[in-house]
Amino acid sequence: MSDAVTENQQTENQQAATEQAISDQAAATNAAAAPVPACQVVLISGGSRGLGLALVRMVLDAGAKVATFARTITPELEQLAAQFPDRTYVASVDITDVDAVNGFVKDAAAKLGRIDGMINNAAVGQDSMHMQTSPADIARIIETNLTAPLVLTRAVLRNMIRRNGRGRIVMITTVGAQRGYAGLTTYAATKGGLDAAMRTLAREMHGRVLVNSIAPGFFASEMSSVLGSEQLGAITRRTPSGRLVEPENIVPIARLLMFEDTNLNGQVITVDGGSSI
Amino acid sequence: MSQLSREQIRTMMGEVLANQGKELPADDSASLDAIGFRSLDFSELALSVEDELGTELNFDAPGLRSITTVSDVLDFIEQLQSA
Repeated sequence: MSDAVTENQQTENQQAATEQAISDQAAATNAAAAPVPACQVVLISGGSRGLGLALVRMVLDAGAKVATFARTITPELEQLAAQFPDRTYVASVDITDVDAVNGFVKDAAAKLGRIDGMINNAAVGQDSMHMQTSPADIARIIETNLTAPLVLTRAVLRNMIRRNGRGRIVMITTVGAQRGYAGLTTYAATKGGLDAAMRTLAREMHGRVLVNSIAPGFFASEMSSVLGSEQLGAITRRTPSGRLVEPENIVPIARLLMFEDTNLNGQVITVDGGSSI
Repeated sequence: MSQLSREQIRTMMGEVLANQGKELPADDSASLDAIGFRSLDFSELALSVEDELGTELNFDAPGLRSITTVSDVLDFIEQLQSA
């Protein structure tokens, strides 16, 4: 009788231990699967003008802190930095200067706290047929638009994942990485490379970092500088929404990816008025 | 470059797991799958070790794929330090 009681007690203890282990495992799994929190400190490359500046404003409007760099700091960015001195870190940095970029990430984290968001925005454009693009220009575009963002992403991730950190990354790419547009061979190749890296990183980071791309169509301002009004009108007519893309169209998507719980991961979100469909 | 002891590395590994609500078992032959220690956790551990050593540890993935136990992790980091 007493042996049977002891045996029963042992069985109950084992069951309790097993249940506790399952419960602990479930708690750990749930913790890992919890939504990645809204970003508190966002690093944006190329934040001095155009879309980059609009993204800086968006992050500040959302109440988060922002670190941004560009080769040249514009008066508009200087004004924002002066207006929000405790929530901004701004410096003049060439994105192809690895030491300067690594130093910027370190200094930004020291001033603002751990970086948990990044928007890879800085890029140089192209408007030349491939056969007439010099090898030096091809190398320069690849270095600025692909190598440098990958090095920057590496530096930010190394800051982001410490102490079980989590975060969000957005690559600004282009619809030109999905469809062929004459004059953009190297540019499209670099942005397509970023889209591919984005998907790989989304896997590699196991959900601790959400990684997505926003692929804008051609910005109205860029198109109008190289095309005549007739060509511009033809392109606009071929766009189902009837209008070309503006930076203001990209900002809400970036806000969503930085601050909302969407569970989007490893995706390219194309914003082009439907011109590529 | 000063080196970390196996016990120091073990403590750091325990901290990486503890941050996720997991526990490092006493038995170094424990399977990484069983304790939920993944490749990204190894990367995080490597960053912690880097902080102590003051130098970057870069390594290729094939070496990681043969790591299956706690002991393997400790061996790998020890080898990285002396490489």
